[in-house]
Amino acid sequence: MKSTKFTPKSNLSKKEIDRKWWEIGDYFRRNSLWLLMYCTGCCAIELPPAMTSAYDMERLGMGPMATPRQADILLVSGYLSLKTLRRLIYTYEQMSEPKYVVALGSCPINGGIYHDSHAVINQLDQYIPVDVYVAGCMPNTEAVMNGFVDLIEQIKHKKANGWKKYHENNEWYKKNQLDSLGEVVVKDEFHQ
Amino acid sequence: MASIEYLILFLVGASFIGYFLTKLNTTVGSIFTIFATMFVFASLSMYGFNMNLETAVNILPGFSFTQTYLGFYFVIIIAFIYLMVSFFHPYYVGTYKYKDSYNMLFLLSLAGILGAFFTDNFLQLFFFFELIIWTTMFLIPQGKSKEAAISYFGFSVAGSVALLTGIFMIFSQTGTFVIADGLQGLSGSTSIVVFALFLIAAFAKLGAFPMHIWLPIAHGNAPHPFSPVLSGALVKLGAFIGILALVNIAPSTGMFTAINLPIGQYIVGILGSLSIIFGTLMAIKEDDAKKLLAYSSMSHGGYILVAFSLLDSIGFAGGFYHILAHAVASAAAFMAIAAVARATGTTKMKELGGIIHKMPITYIAYLVAIISMAGIPPMGGFISKWLIFQSVIDKGLIFIGIAVFFGSIGSFLYVFRPLATLFLGQEFTEYKKIKEQPIIMLIPTVILILMNIYTGIFPAAILKFINNIIAELGYSTLTITTFEITGHNGVLNPAVISLVFGVGVVVAFIIFILLKKSRKVDLMDTYTAANFVHDEHLLHYSTDFYAPLERLYEKQSHWMTTFYEALKQKVKDIGRLGKYLFMSRNIATAIVWMIVVVIFLLIGVIL
Amino acid sequence: MDDSRRHLLIDWGDTMIVNILIGLGIALFGFVFQTGLGGINRKIVGRLQKRHGPRWYQEYLDIFKLLSKRSVSHGWIFDFGVIMALGGIIGTAMFMPITSNILAFQNYDNFFIFVYLLAVGMLGMAMSASGSGNPWASIGVMRALTTMLAYEVPFMIVVLTIINISDTSSLTGIQLFQQAAGNNWFLIALPLGGIVGFISLMGMLGKKPFETYIAPAEIASGPMVEYGGKQLGMLFILHEISVFIEVSLFVHLFLGGATNIFEFIIKYAVVYTVANLISNVNGRFKIDQVVKFFYKWPLLMAVAQAIVAIYFGLVI
Repeated sequence: MKSTKFTPKSNLSKKEIDRKWWEIGDYFRRNSLWLLMYCTGCCAIELPPAMTSAYDMERLGMGPMATPRQADILLVSGYLSLKTLRRLIYTYEQMSEPKYVVALGSCPINGGIYHDSHAVINQLDQYIPVDVYVAGCMPNTEAVMNGFVDLIEQIKHKKANGWKKYHENNEWYKKNQLDSLGEVVVKDEFHQ
Repeated sequence: MASIEYLILFLVGASFIGYFLTKLNTTVGSIFTIFATMFVFASLSMYGFNMNLETAVNILPGFSFTQTYLGFYFVIIIAFIYLMVSFFHPYYVGTYKYKDSYNMLFLLSLAGILGAFFTDNFLQLFFFFELIIWTTMFLIPQGKSKEAAISYFGFSVAGSVALLTGIFMIFSQTGTFVIADGLQGLSGSTSIVVFALFLIAAFAKLGAFPMHIWLPIAHGNAPHPFSPVLSGALVKLGAFIGILALVNIAPSTGMFTAINLPIGQYIVGILGSLSIIFGTLMAIKEDDAKKLLAYSSMSHGGYILVAFSLLDSIGFAGGFYHILAHAVASAAAFMAIAAVARATGTTKMKELGGIIHKMPITYIAYLVAIISMAGIPPMGGFISKWLIFQSVIDKGLIFIGIAVFFGSIGSFLYVFRPLATLFLGQEFTEYKKIKEQPIIMLIPTVILILMNIYTGIFPAAILKFINNIIAELGYSTLTITTFEITGHNGVLNPAVISLVFGVGVVVAFIIFILLKKSRKVDLMDTYTAANFVHDEHLLHYSTDFYAPLERLYEKQSHWMTTFYEALKQKVKDIGRLGKYLFMSRNIATAIVWMIVVVIFLLIGVIL
Repeated sequence: MDDSRRHLLIDWGDTMIVNILIGLGIALFGFVFQTGLGGINRKIVGRLQKRHGPRWYQEYLDIFKLLSKRSVSHGWIFDFGVIMALGGIIGTAMFMPITSNILAFQNYDNFFIFVYLLAVGMLGMAMSASGSGNPWASIGVMRALTTMLAYEVPFMIVVLTIINISDTSSLTGIQLFQQAAGNNWFLIALPLGGIVGFISLMGMLGKKPFETYIAPAEIASGPMVEYGGKQLGMLFILHEISVFIEVSLFVHLFLGGATNIFEFIIKYAVVYTVANLISNVNGRFKIDQVVKFFYKWPLLMAVAQAIVAIYFGLVI
């Protein structure tokens, strides 16, 4: 039907148009995921085979990036001590939205072999929202790749909403962070 | 009708009134200076463009004036720079040590400029030349150091002596002091010597290699509002002398057939190229913003020399256009730095950062100026460099070509450094309270921004005037239509370039505005590899900006300074010897000298 | 204004609008073509490293993904610089002839416009990067400018030779000159100059071993460190278009240009792929090594070529 000035106005409300645009955006986002690797633990050793000719994550449009501003996925590979957690949160907050978090290994899930350490946190999703966990100590490369495919599926079905949760429950996250990390009294690079 | 004589007398008179007014109140005196300069500029631009100035002399005995397109072109540019700078006086003059005399000397030097470019007689040229040197010599030490004035004076005197010697040699051969006749009548080996002497004067004034040492010292330490005059206007005196010699005297009939250029001109071209390269390399190394711009003036002086040594109307047009473009650009840049120095009290780039957030208009003035200096469209510098390139390429001058291309890319490096470290980067806490320039200082800043853009987009009117000069010098004129300039091997349409650039920016802006709005973050919220840094000085990269490049010529960069230090030492030694021999307090030495003199006299009598 | 002049002006305005539209079309073509070719080259590199490689349209996905994200901004100069950069590059691309008869602005495709209008884009990007307040960005810009100082001088000397021989600085003119001489490409006519031109092209494209100013693992991708979302997306578009300009310059200057669009596409693809392949078997120079390298052999070769060609008139 040709559109004239007598044609009734489109029924799509602004919300629906936004949703349509968002779906188009999601198509691009899930096919081009750039990683920021936060390699604190031993799971990082699984990434080279995932990147190079053995599994080749570039097939999925994924690749490593240099800074949090450019990246889509924050890849936490391994345990997080209190000192690194503060930096992880700082990095997470610098990323451009939408942003996703993938955690490798059992350490971010329940502390893994460091579960009783005084300096290592046990559950990462108390502090920042995690979209995909890849369990195992350490997970093998197939599992890592599978985790990425899972994330892509989640984005497709609009379930990768961690970054929204961080906005909605910001107070809760901030409180947990403060409880574990404590108040910063002296603000410099040595005390934080 | 404005008479040149009356204008000069008016300026001399105004300078004395200015002195007393400034003594009474610096602001009143400075505002008077603005109006006096404005009057001179207005009457020049009203009558000068059509050569309608009155040249008859009624009062001054022995003086005579003439008006040429060449002289007027220089005068109008210099008067324009003087006018722009005078707007800065109310805010600066009060802070100087000998503030009473500042405005007086300023106006007197402008009188000297008028005389020097409008005279038709060598002796008067020399007189006005000296008037300029002496007045400005007392202006420079009002800034930071007296050394600067000494160095400026030393090199200027070398230039003046060379000029005077040249004038006398012309007189002894041709028997006339009239500029046109004198230069025409030269021949033989005298012409070689005069050519060299005039060029020494030109090099000294232009601060070209190898007489460039004074340039950064004088520019860097001169009072802030005077540096733009030095760089934008006074340096051009050297270009004037250079043109007189390069265009009118052909010292050698020997030609390089491959490049179709006389040997003398080719040597000047090579020296100009060396100026470009030296100036560029030294500017890249420099940490003081004003000294950096001073070295850039040296490199641009090299361009002007190269342009006029090409003996080709496109090259000449490029040279003349470059004189204008560089004057406007360097005045704008120096004035921007002066405004920053007024607000912060320093011109050292490692002590400054993030000025843009408080002084955006100053920043834009500097940005426009450096775009022109680097020879990028849509500013004036592009057109002049394009013309010079046309001529260099057409003649196939490879070695000069290396220099002009090197200088053109190199200028991009050094002009960017103040932009990045002084205006951009982290905003320092100590400069969070500074303010934009006051409104009177913004007037010249905005005018200069517009001038820079105008020279880049609509060069036709200016080039038509330059055509008159070229015709006056006896060369064929350029083909210029309303929008197009035709060079040796191509056509340039600056208006279309600017239009297309504008279209590009509009397209980019549409893309930008259609997309999701960005989240505004603080400057300190930046990627630090997740380290917590709370001191913005640590996140500001400014010291030794081009360190890896500087390292490559670190050892060689002191050669010229060492040479001149050694020369200075030798001069001092000779002076000390003379003092020891002739001004000793020792009776014995005096008696020895008396005996020597008596013996000499006796020998003379006997012979 | 009398009638005839007004008509002239209106005519001029009409042709100008058409020309601008053609120019925008060329810029769009450059972007689409180069982005696709870039994706294919990523796949080729993948195969070279015994990987499967990404989809051939991956580059488009990357750019549109970036445009769809919500980024951060460090103030007006950060945004303004990006707009100025992209605007400058689009403007430059609008002057680029694709073949000897497809171009937007007849007679105005002067070589110097490309070199210096490209610099406006670079200046905008450098300004924006420094405006982000990140020291890595400033270091990256410093390296980029130093690299530019290195590769530009030998390249310009070769171009000086070419313009001096063909007596025109218009790219179309240079193409026609080569085509008229029986397809005597300057790559063959000036062999040393051709080599220098190609090495300089590698420097311009920022390919290894001259990609010192990006160096992701060393200075966190240099000038681009603070960009994300739409600003980075626009810089990617800028990068694709500037690659289009640089490779096209090489095709027109050294490979005899093109008589039709397919010839252009083939020549372009070959040049870009060869540059990419060479890049992938190289390591990375330090920045002072880049400068030393370019001022040693390429400059010497360029000068030798210029002397032989201009002063002795020996052109193969």
